[in-house]
Amino acid sequence: MSTSLVAGTPNPGEQTGPARVRRERFGFLRAVRGNRKALTGSVLLLVFTVLAIVPQWFTSVSDPNAHEFGLMLSPSATHPLGTTAFGQDILAQLIWGTRQSLVIALAVGGLATVVSVLVGVSAAYLGGPTDGVLSAITDVFLVVPTFPLIVVIAAYAGKGNLPVMIAVLVLTGWSYGARQLRAQALSLRNRDFLESARVRGERRSYIIVCEVLPTMTSLILANFLGAALYAVLTAAGLQFIGLGDNNSVSWGTMLHWAQSNSALQTGQPLWVVAPGVCVALLGAAFALLNYAFDEISNPALRPVRRTRAQRASS
Amino acid sequence: MRLTRILAGGAAAVLLLTGCSSTGSGGGAAGGSGVLTIANVAGQTWTCGFNPFNPAVNYLSFGFVYEPLVYINALKNNAVTPMLASSYKWAPDKKSITFTIRKGVKWNDGQPMTAQDVAFTFNLMKANPGLDFNALWSTILTGVSASGDQVTMTFKSPAEPYFYYVAGDTPIVAKHVWSSGGAASDPVKYQDAQPVGTGPYKVDPCRANNITYVANQHYWQPGLPKVKKMNYPAYTDNDPANLDLAAGKDQWGGQYIPGIEKLYVSRDPAHHHYWFPPTTNVALYLNLKKQPTSNVAVRRALAYAIDRAKVSKIGESGYQPPANQTGVVLPTFSQWYDAAAAKASGFGAPDTAKAAQLLKSAGYSPSHPLDLHVITISGYTDWDASLTEIKQQLAPLGVNLTIDDLAGNTFDDRLFKGDFDMAYYSQVGGPGPYYELRQMLHSANSAPLGQNAASNFERYSNPAVDKALNDFASADEATQHKLLDTVQQAMLRDVPVIPTTESVNWYQYNTGAFTGWPTKSNPYALPAPWQIPDNEQVVLHLAPKQ
Amino acid sequence: MRYLLHRLGFFVLTLWAAVTVNFAIPRLMPGDPASAMMARFHGRVNPAAIHALEVAFGVNSHQSLWSQYLSYLHNTVTGNFGVSLTYFPLPVSTEIAQAVPWTLGLVGVATVLAFVVGTLVGAVSGWKRGGLVDSVVPPVFVVTSALPYFWVGMILILFFSVMTNGLLPNDGAYDVNLVPSLSPVFIGDVVRHALLPAATILITSIGGWILTMRNNMVTVLAEDYVRMGRAKGLSDRRIMYQYAARNALLPNLAGFAMSLGFVVAGAILVEYVFNYPGLGYMLLNAVNNLDYPLMQALFLMITVAVLVAVLLCDFVTALLDPRTRSS
Repeated sequence: MSTSLVAGTPNPGEQTGPARVRRERFGFLRAVRGNRKALTGSVLLLVFTVLAIVPQWFTSVSDPNAHEFGLMLSPSATHPLGTTAFGQDILAQLIWGTRQSLVIALAVGGLATVVSVLVGVSAAYLGGPTDGVLSAITDVFLVVPTFPLIVVIAAYAGKGNLPVMIAVLVLTGWSYGARQLRAQALSLRNRDFLESARVRGERRSYIIVCEVLPTMTSLILANFLGAALYAVLTAAGLQFIGLGDNNSVSWGTMLHWAQSNSALQTGQPLWVVAPGVCVALLGAAFALLNYAFDEISNPALRPVRRTRAQRASS
Repeated sequence: MRLTRILAGGAAAVLLLTGCSSTGSGGGAAGGSGVLTIANVAGQTWTCGFNPFNPAVNYLSFGFVYEPLVYINALKNNAVTPMLASSYKWAPDKKSITFTIRKGVKWNDGQPMTAQDVAFTFNLMKANPGLDFNALWSTILTGVSASGDQVTMTFKSPAEPYFYYVAGDTPIVAKHVWSSGGAASDPVKYQDAQPVGTGPYKVDPCRANNITYVANQHYWQPGLPKVKKMNYPAYTDNDPANLDLAAGKDQWGGQYIPGIEKLYVSRDPAHHHYWFPPTTNVALYLNLKKQPTSNVAVRRALAYAIDRAKVSKIGESGYQPPANQTGVVLPTFSQWYDAAAAKASGFGAPDTAKAAQLLKSAGYSPSHPLDLHVITISGYTDWDASLTEIKQQLAPLGVNLTIDDLAGNTFDDRLFKGDFDMAYYSQVGGPGPYYELRQMLHSANSAPLGQNAASNFERYSNPAVDKALNDFASADEATQHKLLDTVQQAMLRDVPVIPTTESVNWYQYNTGAFTGWPTKSNPYALPAPWQIPDNEQVVLHLAPKQ
Repeated sequence: MRYLLHRLGFFVLTLWAAVTVNFAIPRLMPGDPASAMMARFHGRVNPAAIHALEVAFGVNSHQSLWSQYLSYLHNTVTGNFGVSLTYFPLPVSTEIAQAVPWTLGLVGVATVLAFVVGTLVGAVSGWKRGGLVDSVVPPVFVVTSALPYFWVGMILILFFSVMTNGLLPNDGAYDVNLVPSLSPVFIGDVVRHALLPAATILITSIGGWILTMRNNMVTVLAEDYVRMGRAKGLSDRRIMYQYAARNALLPNLAGFAMSLGFVVAGAILVEYVFNYPGLGYMLLNAVNNLDYPLMQALFLMITVAVLVAVLLCDFVTALLDPRTRSS
């Protein structure tokens, strides 16, 4: 199901059918190497991670927000992407801005996934009225239009406050995954290996953590990637309309300043193009990995390369 | 204020819905046809309401349609031009004033305008506090009555500084319109779709995307206005308005245009001109009731450290000029400027050595940094940029400035209650530096921390300054200059507020099809199309080129 | 029947939650709309004048929170959203009614188009596994679905408006100098203004439909009844349309119903970038101006639209898929 109209909620596919039920554990590390999409995504993510950790290795500018250069300079050897209307080096801002975007992506991805797992798996495993309540809550969060809600909340609750932004994104980003995880956990409930654990007299928490979760690793990872993609795009959108911290460096904030200074109309296209490309590449990294995990866990989706005969035989 | 991207709502389908006919020329007629087109981004389509007491739309009716008693020119030392009042006379104690109302003035529906209308207008404001935006009845007015062609107003105390608000800033409305129907039952919510005023224009017709103003044939000044028709298109964003100005489709602009020389002037250098006269200060308000800004050494250090010229250049693209520490806006009010005191103070140029020394005396240095927060209104991107520049200028001195971007109402709440170290803000001002300095510094406008201050947000209290501001009201001009010098010296000595840049009247004009524009050398009115009621003076001076 | 009642109950619950959140958010914030108003008008405020505004707008409420909540619920149910602060003194409902056609026209058409084209391309791609289309489509559209909406809009403006010296308009729904009418000139102008924003929505949303349709198709093609069809010697065309695509479409239809609900929300950032006078743009402006009545009405409307779409989608699914009815 696609609800991507509003905020680009990803579609990690709903196929939780028989194909992906057996334990997967470490199989997909090998699979990543064999999957071009996964490889591309991993390389992109790696590059951005390095930029985020040690930006000072890639630019001599130590404070990318300082107004220390000429205004609106065209690209040159010293400023490969030119400077902004405030005299800031655009390339340096891009490099330093990686950190905030990546932190938001990873934090929101991680936290939202934790919430999804807690709610989704508990609902499925505990069943009964608990399932009813948790599922109802999930469904409410699923249909409340997120972007308008985020705009309204972010406008009031401490604009420019990173923890608030992360909290809001987590709050609005967990429900999709919770529903998927619940569906998969539900299909696992009566499997033999869980039945045998129950017969052995294991505690519920043990069964959930040690038996159920490992089986669901690839779906959980896919959810993490989906939530991270959602966070990258939504955070950039919020920063763009001025709801981020306008005095920090991030790609969305760069776009905000470019737009409020009519960068396109005053002959400064790079100020707009460059940060957008970065958002798109980071987003693409998560999207490609997400899609690849779908393929890995559901082999039917994989592209067929060499043998066209396969279709006929299947 | 620079218009930001998000400004006000925009909805445009009303005409589609109501299926309006396609007659009418629309807004784009070139100036050559004698039709003047205004480019001023409203950020929304027109509601076609013209209630002159509704601050959301009064810039569309006060001036063009409704007139004040007199016009007061802030750019010419408050020169008074009689409008609906042909003359006025203060009582010696300045606690009452009598206006003689002009004879032969007619409302645009043909009915005569009388002193009764004037008294009615003020008493309407008394009965409906929602109309009284200058809070006249709650602060100073005690009575308004008409007799013959005279209107007499009485005040609680000497009221000369309120002359501007009473006579120059109150639109006079028609009793026969406002005492019946929808206007009478709720004048605050009255739409006023067909405004009946005495001014040079009337509305005919208004559509969501354009207001057409045509000359009022009953206008009391013979032969005026010379421009018979004006279009006021509803621009929801800066870019198209700027493009239309640059293309010469619009002749009168009140716009922020980035890179104005390139985007506007160079398109037609012979005819495209701009002039941005400054009117008030944009300033840092320092909390005087709270450490560390209660320490005068800290405040003086900040004033020495800030490079105002660079703030103007980076934050305001140089359009808003740098301010000075006296609080007198230059060059607009230069006749009031205490140049000697300003020069002696040494605030003219940034002096980081002195700033560092003062900070040291207060116990701060790069190794013992001073942490300060400044609050500002989010969405004012030029202010954000200015503060970022200030932050960078202060950093080497060991001052860590944190910029808190607050939503409008949160900002107001903290500003009024004094919940800040520093606040970035601009006063309403008035025609002359007295108004702004009084708003900033008079202790009557202050309040204890935690309570709402009216305009003295830094909580400055100095009996000598209060006395100078009080005496100003009834003093002669020479004494007034001395009194304002006292106030400026207090600004330089105590640094309660640090003016950084000067707000300007955004104004572009095209001399291709019309003559008579206000210019730097002929400043007969504040020139922006949104500046009320000055915009009436502008349209009365304009004439189509032959 | 039980299923439908269940869904109806959910509808009411969610609606109540949204309405209550809508009530709570502005009241948790400091300050008040009257001072927000003043800030909007002058950028500067005087508390004495604020009092005048409070009286004018009737926002100076001293009711208890509970009675405010009750009268709020009452007003919501009766559709009385009060007076807009931005467009004072016009009622909120008038303003919203003006924005609705623009959003429905732009976002609605673009959404339907994206769904139809995306589903077709996805079906073809999934059908011819490993074919030319299928080797290009998934990676390309995985990437386009990761593009930020608003940035795509800005890039289109750069290429089709700025660099071509105004080939296509990039601002608003029509030229302010034209008088709205049903004349060909005006309609042409409206279409021209809609091209870039519509293209933006199409580019960024089509990927989702293509990928889900392709994946559904692939999954369905592996089902026994498709194999059965092949074994029976049915034509490829027949299998593709009658067997595979129809079933693959089912889950996508649900998504489509939901996204139709989201149409009302507008593609907020697209409307913002193009200053398109729809509901999303109006919502952003309401938020920025702290126009509480307008903001609350818009948010409520968007929520209701989505909920109705979801409800509708539930009904349709129940109608088409017997399995949901029995469970």
